[in-house]
Amino acid sequence: MTSDFNINDLQLKYLELETLLDITNELNSFDQIPELLQEILVKSCAVLNASSGLILIEDDNSDVLHIGADFNLDISILKGLIFNKRKGIINELNETRKAFNFKIEQDSFLSKTLCKYGLMAPLLEKKNLVGVIILFDKESRKGISPFHDADANMLSAIATQASVAYNNIKLLESIKEAKTFNDNVMQSIVTGVFTTNLMGEINHINRAATNIINLEKEHVLGNHYEYIFESSQSITQLIAKCENESIVLSESQVKLEMNGKSTTVNISVSPLLNDLLEPIGSVVAMEDLSNIDKLKSTFKKYVSKQIVDQLLENEEMQNLGGQEQEATILFSDIRGFTSMSEGMAPNEVVETLNDYFNLMIEIIFKYNGTLDKIIGDALMVIYGAPNSTEKDTENAVLTAIEMQEKLIEFNQRRVINSQLPITIGIGINRGRVISGNIGSRQQMNFTVIGDSVNLASRLCSAAKADEIIVSETVWEYIQNNKSLKSRKLNPIKVKGKEKPIKIREIQYKRSSFNYEVAYNIIEEFLLHHLPKEYTYHTIDHIRDVVLQTERIAKKEKIGKEDIADLKLAAWLHDIGYIWEPNRHEARGAEYAYSILNSLRFPVQKINKICGMILATKIPQKPKNILEQIICDADLDYLGREDYSVNSLLLLKELRLKKQISEIEWLDIQYSFLSKHTYHTNTSITTRNKLKTKVLLSIKEKLKK
Amino acid sequence: MSDFITSVKENNSIVIIETNGYLNNVGGEAVSAIVYEKMAQGQMKFLINMAGTKIVNSIGVSILIEIIEKLQEVNGKIGYYNLAPIVAKTFNIMGLTKYSSVFETEEVAVNEL
Repeated sequence: MTSDFNINDLQLKYLELETLLDITNELNSFDQIPELLQEILVKSCAVLNASSGLILIEDDNSDVLHIGADFNLDISILKGLIFNKRKGIINELNETRKAFNFKIEQDSFLSKTLCKYGLMAPLLEKKNLVGVIILFDKESRKGISPFHDADANMLSAIATQASVAYNNIKLLESIKEAKTFNDNVMQSIVTGVFTTNLMGEINHINRAATNIINLEKEHVLGNHYEYIFESSQSITQLIAKCENESIVLSESQVKLEMNGKSTTVNISVSPLLNDLLEPIGSVVAMEDLSNIDKLKSTFKKYVSKQIVDQLLENEEMQNLGGQEQEATILFSDIRGFTSMSEGMAPNEVVETLNDYFNLMIEIIFKYNGTLDKIIGDALMVIYGAPNSTEKDTENAVLTAIEMQEKLIEFNQRRVINSQLPITIGIGINRGRVISGNIGSRQQMNFTVIGDSVNLASRLCSAAKADEIIVSETVWEYIQNNKSLKSRKLNPIKVKGKEKPIKIREIQYKRSSFNYEVAYNIIEEFLLHHLPKEYTYHTIDHIRDVVLQTERIAKKEKIGKEDIADLKLAAWLHDIGYIWEPNRHEARGAEYAYSILNSLRFPVQKINKICGMILATKIPQKPKNILEQIICDADLDYLGREDYSVNSLLLLKELRLKKQISEIEWLDIQYSFLSKHTYHTNTSITTRNKLKTKVLLSIKEKLKK
Repeated sequence: MSDFITSVKENNSIVIIETNGYLNNVGGEAVSAIVYEKMAQGQMKFLINMAGTKIVNSIGVSILIEIIEKLQEVNGKIGYYNLAPIVAKTFNIMGLTKYSSVFETEEVAVNEL
């Protein structure tokens, strides 16, 4: 062998130094502990000619170490071994914290590696042992040999560098972990939070805050809060004040207009301080009140606004455990709804019920009732639970009366729209009930149960259409209110009660036809249904006839009731155009008869209304003063300044059916006006003069 | 064949040995055994594909030097390709590259050896 080929000590030292330098340069580039440990081990083995090696690393919060890296070793042979840093050779290293080489004894746990010699160096964090590098069997061309002291020094140097790199990664991991933890906390809290730095720039923002301000995180971070909250001065002023005065500030119900979204928030701003308690920015917390509003809104579908607000304000009230108390229960039920709905389409049934319930529930909440259940077409309402007042029973009765009264208007609308009317019976009882949240864990409802509830239901069953039946107990509670009237009914026998139950019927002003409501509904109906192509027989003409009817009637000294009937006839006089223009008076009268009959309008008055509608047929033949009034009102424009406008609108409408020349139209007008006479003194005196003038003007035009 | 040698093939009268793992005493002995066996069969040129060997120690290097000495006696040659940077650096420091060649690829190695 030539000297050129000998690997001399100088080359080996050079390799050691280069390896150490590499380790120094490279180790800090690792950001994962397993990769770092593997690199340390492999390079240590290579530079010190070890045949294999292990790195044991600490388990968090225990004295036990685990294998963090292995090289050229079958680690399955070490399975089940516990590497305790307080025992054996590792304890020796833990105490000395200096690298040393050793011979592996037969009784040592390392004997399982089948290696003979070892070299061990500590990985330290400050003075604590956090890991161990163990190299096995130094290789030579003659076989394996013990490591030297110089090897221990070398491994010690590597271990020192490795400890720094290991601790850096651990520190980085703990910082990342803390940041992730903080981020997760920030992201999971429902309160919107953001922080600003000393420059006023937003440097952190959580998900809830981006949702509240309706902006992406990327658009917010790095921008000044005044820029982000440009349209919400109250927030910028609050943050500015907190910055200037270093005090905690808060404001409730702040309106935020952000990026097209309007939100109401409760806001608090606190100074952000460093370890030296110097301000380094602000932290802003925003509580979105929309969810509370939504909760209130949902809750208000079942409970009146007052009760929702009381429950939300008083946490103790939310603990609705079972308790016995006095309550008033109202049941209402639609009479004959099942047979009525048989002739209706399913969507019509749902629409009818929804319209009906909307109306009724509004009344229930007006009187602080709690809607307990909707059972098919029936309603169960509680008064006095969960919280009671002196007015509970009276409120229940007032609810029932208003439900019946409002149903009259409701039915007028239905009837005018050719729908069947609805009638209801109501039963009310007062007594001891068990109230509380009753149900399963999945679904729990606040309700009341007991005999008193059952009796209320039975009273409802006993009530006929339009009736309100109450128990004697209810009447005793409300009889001091002199505006409420009742009459005794025969006691009824109910299931489960031995003695007949004393009952009363609450009296209220029934079915007085509400003219004003009827006028409005008919006007609305005409607006939607009159043929759109008509230019004369429009809602404007009908409104004019109603107006003139009332004017003439008043001049003719007609009584209030007749005027109300006249106006009703005026509203209905052209309604037949919707279905049969050629016989619209007859069709209108038929419709009027049908709806007025359904609304239990007195029969003689129905005939009177129908007579007035029929009287408007040309040539007009009114048989009484009321018919004369409506006839004059219908053609009032013949003697008015706006004759020519109305005449043109009529011509346009007539031309929808046939061609009419100008001359023909003059002939038609002349013929009509010549034959027409006003019937009432009012119209004769106020309209004849102008009508004659119009007639002469047409005559002149015809001559030309 | 040991675990360290994953294949032995011939290309243009050159024996190509592919290794995998730690080139230490054991790995070096495995390579020398193949080389000496092939030399006995008259082969004079050897290439080692070291793509699978990421680490080497001085004992492994000294065995390679012994192989070079044996080959020089019969005017044979040995070269290496696909070296990891750390292996190349070690070969350089240990003086191996003065007496044997390091190539980028097998194609270059076969052409130039």
